[in-house]
Amino acid sequence: MKYLFKPFEKVNKNSRLLIIGMWVAIMLIFWFVSSMGERHLFPSPKQVLTGFTELYNEGLVVHIGSSLLLCIKAIIIAVIISLIVTYLSTIPVVTPIAKTLSKLRYLPLTGISFYLAILISNARTMQVWVLVVFMTTYLTTSLLSMISSIPQEEFDHARSLQCNRWEVLWEVVIKGRIDYVIEVIRQNLAIVWMMLVTVESILVAAGGLGFLIKNSDKFMNHGRIIALQIVILLVGLSIDFVLDYLRKAFFRYSKI
Amino acid sequence: MNYSMHNTLLYVENLSVAYGEKTVIKNVNFVEKDVIRENNITGQVIAFVGRSGRGKSTLFRAMTGLIKPTTGKILIADTETDSENDAKEVDEGDIGFVDQKYTLFRNKTVYQTLLFALRKKDISKKEKHTKIMSYLSDWGLEKVKDQYPCELSGGQRQRTAIIEQILCSGHYMVLDEPFSGLDVGNIEDVKNAFNLITSTHEFNTIIYSTHDIELAVELADSIYVIGYPTIDGKRADYGTIVKHFDMKELNLAWKDFGLDHIEIVKQIKAIMLNS
Repeated sequence: MKYLFKPFEKVNKNSRLLIIGMWVAIMLIFWFVSSMGERHLFPSPKQVLTGFTELYNEGLVVHIGSSLLLCIKAIIIAVIISLIVTYLSTIPVVTPIAKTLSKLRYLPLTGISFYLAILISNARTMQVWVLVVFMTTYLTTSLLSMISSIPQEEFDHARSLQCNRWEVLWEVVIKGRIDYVIEVIRQNLAIVWMMLVTVESILVAAGGLGFLIKNSDKFMNHGRIIALQIVILLVGLSIDFVLDYLRKAFFRYSKI
Repeated sequence: MNYSMHNTLLYVENLSVAYGEKTVIKNVNFVEKDVIRENNITGQVIAFVGRSGRGKSTLFRAMTGLIKPTTGKILIADTETDSENDAKEVDEGDIGFVDQKYTLFRNKTVYQTLLFALRKKDISKKEKHTKIMSYLSDWGLEKVKDQYPCELSGGQRQRTAIIEQILCSGHYMVLDEPFSGLDVGNIEDVKNAFNLITSTHEFNTIIYSTHDIELAVELADSIYVIGYPTIDGKRADYGTIVKHFDMKELNLAWKDFGLDHIEIVKQIKAIMLNS
C-alpha cells in the first residue's frame, strides 16, 4: 500500500478502482456527517433524493431534452462557422478575420446579447445565438491552435507528393485532423454546457435545466438545487464520454 | 571498375538561398550524370555530409522545389520526353522527399498511402492495385498494408515513406538523414532499400545527407562536403560545397568497405572540422 503514496508511481487497474472507491466513500461519509446537524451547508442525501423525485415528476427528462437540443443546435452552428473561418485562415487575406474572431472571446457576453436582442425577437433563437457567439470564439481559438501545431514536415510531405496548396489543405488540415476537431469540441463543451444553464436561466424560453435551477433557487429549495447540479454534471460527463468514444471508435489512428 | 558517364541527370548552378538578410547557402554548383556499367543497372547514390547548420536541409528543400532559390537554378532530366538530353527546372513533387521523421499521412493506411501516391498516374485501378501489392511484397509490408502509421514500426514507416515517393515522383529521391536514430537492423533495411531503388532503373538517383561518414563512404558513388568556405583567410557564414569526392574516379565505388575507404573517411572528417 505504501507505493500508492509515492509520486509518479504506476498503479494497476484494481488499485486505481480501489483509490476511486475510497474517495467516493470518503465523500459520501463527509456528506452524510456534515448534513446531520440542524445547521448545515449542504442538504442531506434524503433531501436531494426528494428533490430529484420531485424534479422527475415535474418533467426533468423533458427539460434535459430541451437543454440538449439547445446545446446541439448551438454547437452545430458554432462548429460550422468556426471550421469555415479556421480552414480559410490558412489563406493570408482571411487570417486577420480568424484571429480577430478568436480575440473576441474577451468581450463580455452582456454587450453582445444587447445587439442580439435588437436583431432577434424570439427568446429561443436568442438563446441559440448567444451560445453560438460565445462558443464560436472559443472553438476558433482552439482550432487555430490545432492548425499552428501541425508540423511543417506534414505540409512538405504532402507537397512532395505533388499536392497543390488546396490539396494540402484538404489532406493535411481538413481530412488529416478531423479527430482533433472532435477533441476540440469535447474540450470546449464543458464551457458551453456551463454557459447553457446560465443562458437558460437568464432568458427563459422553452424550459431546460437552467430554468429549473432558477426556479429552485427562487424558493431556496437546496435539495432540488443539488439534485439538479448532479444531473447537469452527469449529462455533461456523458456527452464528454460519448464524444471521446466516437473519436476513438471512428478514428483508429487517433492517439491524442 | 569500368563505367561511363552519359546524360546529365542533375544540374545545379550558382544556387543560393537566403531568408531575409541571412544567407544560408551560396554558390552551390554541381553536376551529376547517369553512370552506366556493363551488364548492370546502376542508379546514382549521392551523399551530402557536413556539420549541423551548414545548410544541408535548406539545400534539400530547394532541390525538391519546396523553397524557391534566391539565385541560381536546379535542372533535372526530363525523362517524359523522347529527346535524350531534355532538362526542366525542378518543381514541387518532381523529386521525392523523405524527411528524417519519415512523415506519412496519419489518417491513411499503408495501402491508402500508396494508392494516394499513384493518384496522378494514368493507369487503371486494377494496375494500381497490382503495382502496390507487388511493392508491398518486395519490401515486406504485405502484412501491415491495412495499418496506420502510428501502428507501424520505425522500419515499416521508413519503407512506406520511401515506396510512396518512388511511386509518386519519377527517378529522383532526396532523403534527409535517413540513418539518424536507427538501430543496426533498420540501417540494413535502408541500405537494402537503396540497393532496390538503384537496381531498378538507370536514372534512379538517391540523394541523401548523413552524419555517419562511414555510411556515406560505403554507399555513395559521389560525396559532397558542405561547410563554411574560407575566403581570404576568413571563414564565411554561409554553407557551400567545400569538397567533392568522386568515388567512381577514386575507384572506390561499388566496393566493399576497406582501408582506402577509411582514408577517405579521415579526409572528410578533417575537411568538416575546418569548415
